[in-house]
Amino acid sequence: MLESFLASTVAMATPILLAALGELIVERSGVLNIGIEGAMLVGAFCGFAVAYYGSSIALGLIAACAAAVALNALLAVLLVNFAVNQVVAGTAIDILALGLTGVFYRRWFGETGSAFTITPMSPIALGPLARIPLIGPVLFDQSALVYLAFVLVPIVAIAISRTRYGLELRAAGERPEAADALGLGVYRLRWQAMMIAGVLSGLAGAYLTMADTNTFVEGVTAGRGYVALSIVIVGRWNAWGVAAAAMLFGGAMALQFGLQAFGTAIPYQFFLALPYALTIAVLAFMGGQADSPSALGEPYIS
Amino acid sequence: MLEAAAITRRFGRTLALDQVDFRAFPGEIHALVGENGAGKSTLINIFAGRLKPDRGEVTLNGGALAPGSAQLALKAGIAAVYQSPMLFERMSWEENLALGGFGAGPSRNDPTGAAGRMRFLSLGGFGAVLSRNDLAGAASRARLLAARLGFELPPTRAPVEHCSIGERVRLEILRALSFDPRVLILDEPTGVLAPAELGAFLETLRRLRADGRIVVIVTHKLAEAIAVADRITVLRHGRVAAVRLAAATSAGELARLMIGGFAVSAMDSGKNSAEAWAGGPAPTVSHGAPSLIVENLTLEGGGRRLLDGVRLRVAAGEIAGVAGVDGNGQRELVEVMAGTRTPAAGVLRVLPNQTTAADRATADNWTIADRQATAGHRSMTVIAQNRDLDGLILDMTLWENLLLARGVRKRFVRRGWLYRARATAFCADLLVRFEIQSAGASSLALTLSGGNRQRLAVARALACEPRVLVVHDVCRGLDLRAAAEVHRRLREFAATGGAVLLISSDLDELLALSTSLYVITRGRLIAVAAGDRNAEQIGLLMSGVGRPGEGERGISLK
Amino acid sequence: MSDTPTERDVPSGSASARVRRVLFATVLRFAAVGRSIAALAIAVAIISIVLLALGASPIAVFADLWQGAFGNWLAATDTLVKSTPLVFTGLAIAVAFQGALWNIGADGQLVMGALAAGAIGPALGGWAHPIAIFAMLAVGAAGGAVWGGFAGWLRARREVNEVISTIMLNFVAAQVLSWAVHGPLMEPSGDYPKSVVIADSAKLAFYLAPSRLNLGMVLALILAVGCHLALFHGEAGLELRALGRSRRASAFFGIPIRRLTVGAMALSGALAGVGGAVQVSAITHRLYETMSPGWGYEAIAVALVARLNPLAIVPAAILFGALDNGSQAMQRADAVSPVLVNVIQGLVIIILIAFDAATARGMRTAFFGALDAAPRSDGPPAEVGDA
Repeated sequence: MLESFLASTVAMATPILLAALGELIVERSGVLNIGIEGAMLVGAFCGFAVAYYGSSIALGLIAACAAAVALNALLAVLLVNFAVNQVVAGTAIDILALGLTGVFYRRWFGETGSAFTITPMSPIALGPLARIPLIGPVLFDQSALVYLAFVLVPIVAIAISRTRYGLELRAAGERPEAADALGLGVYRLRWQAMMIAGVLSGLAGAYLTMADTNTFVEGVTAGRGYVALSIVIVGRWNAWGVAAAAMLFGGAMALQFGLQAFGTAIPYQFFLALPYALTIAVLAFMGGQADSPSALGEPYIS
Repeated sequence: MLEAAAITRRFGRTLALDQVDFRAFPGEIHALVGENGAGKSTLINIFAGRLKPDRGEVTLNGGALAPGSAQLALKAGIAAVYQSPMLFERMSWEENLALGGFGAGPSRNDPTGAAGRMRFLSLGGFGAVLSRNDLAGAASRARLLAARLGFELPPTRAPVEHCSIGERVRLEILRALSFDPRVLILDEPTGVLAPAELGAFLETLRRLRADGRIVVIVTHKLAEAIAVADRITVLRHGRVAAVRLAAATSAGELARLMIGGFAVSAMDSGKNSAEAWAGGPAPTVSHGAPSLIVENLTLEGGGRRLLDGVRLRVAAGEIAGVAGVDGNGQRELVEVMAGTRTPAAGVLRVLPNQTTAADRATADNWTIADRQATAGHRSMTVIAQNRDLDGLILDMTLWENLLLARGVRKRFVRRGWLYRARATAFCADLLVRFEIQSAGASSLALTLSGGNRQRLAVARALACEPRVLVVHDVCRGLDLRAAAEVHRRLREFAATGGAVLLISSDLDELLALSTSLYVITRGRLIAVAAGDRNAEQIGLLMSGVGRPGEGERGISLK
Repeated sequence: MSDTPTERDVPSGSASARVRRVLFATVLRFAAVGRSIAALAIAVAIISIVLLALGASPIAVFADLWQGAFGNWLAATDTLVKSTPLVFTGLAIAVAFQGALWNIGADGQLVMGALAAGAIGPALGGWAHPIAIFAMLAVGAAGGAVWGGFAGWLRARREVNEVISTIMLNFVAAQVLSWAVHGPLMEPSGDYPKSVVIADSAKLAFYLAPSRLNLGMVLALILAVGCHLALFHGEAGLELRALGRSRRASAFFGIPIRRLTVGAMALSGALAGVGGAVQVSAITHRLYETMSPGWGYEAIAVALVARLNPLAIVPAAILFGALDNGSQAMQRADAVSPVLVNVIQGLVIIILIAFDAATARGMRTAFFGALDAAPRSDGPPAEVGDA
């Protein structure tokens, strides 16, 4: 039973982790992207729709990434080139995404009634590793996207702290004026970060409708994008911290499925609310945002 | 050879540079001196490509420099180190230098100087993911250069924010040098260096000169300029006042050339410079009861003492002037006065006027803690240096800006309700009295020109009817007529029993207005004796040299 | 920006300079309204494209929207009814945004207000009608105030980004409501998650039957006026607006930033909470599993279209309420999901803020010539015109 809880934790944590890694890169470049939720949502929907009509998971994944990248591109124009208020723009994108996915879902799939499903991505067991008691099924018998998330954590960590690109990215997030004076190109870096985040958010959303479940429902993301946002803060803007925080919140979400053990003593709403309340509690406890990139959230005109 | 011909540059209607010619030869250290507002920074910003001249041209070794692009200037071989640090504070120094020319990255081989434009699909952009940021390599290259220059580098991986100012200046210089420039421009580099670091720094400049580079150094410090430079260009009010060989001039002569105008003729004729200044005789020293008492004010930050035991007394009717180069603690002093910063130690008190019983009854005797409560705001008003950020809210109307100051607001508020009509009328009246050109009391502050914004700030401060008025660079950016007007009001205020703390970098202004004079340098306040009240002495005090015999630091390096 | 200005003659410099200044000031004032209208127009254009992509006819859709919203008396009054919660939440957003407090949690605050009202509602049977109504509204305000004030406190004391905290609180509030209607407040028959009906004395009556016009709308209007007075004629309002525009200057003038943050967020929450209470009292008469179809988010569009001006919130709310109401008809007639209004909301916000960003600098430059940042150590600061 512990096994299934841990396996669920990893499964729940994955979309948040993927999205959060993308957001980490974006925030390191100095942009506060509130529109993750929207990107995940369009990724979830487009991935599902293409997988359904095209009968291909691979196509679905590509479509998910493309859709999320497109949405992020719109947001990037606003945030980077127009330098608008980042909070309002991100929220608008989320509302827009909710509307667009809802409208097209009902148009293409009809009103609610029979659920449209696809054959989801099945977990891939990694041979003998998956048979190790306890951690085997938890870590080595998961969907391909989960493995991707695992692998990405160290890659992102190294990319940010040890590559030339990561250095330039961080410079753009610390002091864009100085970065531009050195010829680094702040606009370029921020745009690239948004595109990368688009791919990751798209995958995160696709996971929700193509691996975790096998269908799309409106608003399937249920605030995970915002949880991803807070994970970046809790993780103190580094990849390992983000991964740890993602596991924490994944666990909170997985608790829902552990209800059976608790019987009816605690209402299920408590578990549903837990991740969100936990987010607030952790943020409140962690206090200030002293480790954030210095120029985070400040609109910058080159 | 770096040459500039007939450079002209305006800001709005103010002429910052007027037909300036400049020439610097290889293997030369060339000092650019002048007062604040003379145009020094504007000129070097043009050299470094940060600004475009309206007219005129800059050429380097015969080749014209494309104006307005910092990247192209870097490529051409002009690197600059500015007063405002361009380092990435949270990163280590190795990372900072790797981002310069030491790192093997796209920035060094930037083919088109396309910064700011999107090249996100270019291989140069993404390709960098695959290259290690090679901090070790950059660090070793930096160490080599530093050793040649006699620099000491901070410990490995130390984040820049923990480095001392001297180290930061050196790091910036190293980063500039990493681009292997033919011209190195330094803007007030020694302003915040400690005496111990000064010698090493000036030695570094000598070595750069020996390399055949051109070093242009902008400075207020006349003694240092003479000590280290070969030639000196003096700017005054946007024009070249003179070019001198360092060996053939003196600090005194330079001071006179810098200030010029009235002061020159006044000094030559032996008149009191203050009298020669439009506005009448200097006020006599008053020995009234103190209105403002500051004791042992100390403030630390960034690893150094921003304010060092500041002690000050200003009496009613007195105008206490504080002279100094920007960055020696003035801003911090003002922030403590305004209540936005809490000092580590010290006492700040505003005393009621002792003469009338009514005043004694409403004792506004408060301390720093009170300053942050509402009470303190009524009796001391501060006009900040940066009027656009701290003084006015540009997106609000004029009368709303007026009401930001509690001293004014209390008259138009009763139990939380704003009497708008009255406030607007009062504002309109104020606009007339202070001759502020505007589109009306209900227009937005951003529609005011800079000079009018300052007039509004002064009007607001006086409307608070405070006991003490603290002003910082109050006449910055104002033309002579407007400045004279402000000075007249300050004198009136003092004459009616107010106390003024006048913090400024304009010596003319200070000499003309102050009854007692101080110099602030490195956070310490030094009183200026009556006999030293002339431009020459004060200039020397400001540059930290001190009076002869008071321990002059040996800086002759020739 | 303030209304009813009093322009006075100020003797000044050259006539042409003065004309320029006045022209600029006037253009600024009207540009605000113009921008909102232009944004709506562009949104309509884009929506039309989206509709064509969906295979629906834009003209038919807009016609149906109009029919559904204003086609007949019942529709028109229902539009007003649907606009009412938008006024409350719109005011909540406007108040918070004026202080640069990004309250995305109006939904949750509304829900908590509704919850509070719905909880005490059934017990108000023996109370006189006016007092019962007052009690409903009071607890509604309190519930919302606590929810919003908490986020404000988190921001002021713990530096928690209020965007995240208010959104999180939205989700928490939804769960609290769900628990309440499934559990303690559930009506006895237990076959459907809803709460006990509130007492008759706590219900706001309908007027001009069969319309659902009720006094809640009057309350909304009163609150709009009240917010306007507080924001533009009150000292606290002045301080809040100053805080929203320049934190630095506000600190300099000793404006109590922390107190304002908590207070403004609490007020914002209270406004949304009253909206929730009005919904319960007038329309639903009990609690259901969801009490808000996203009014808290829609209110952002409403507030931005109204340029954060409380009085303008009313017409903006009616506009969006009309869209909401008409969308039902649109769904029946054109098979386009009513969620299309979300697309409109999102687009409107995006266009508005893009406009603002693009024109703000442009206008200043057009009137006063290039604005360059002068170097810092000497040389004059950015000059706009002559000294």
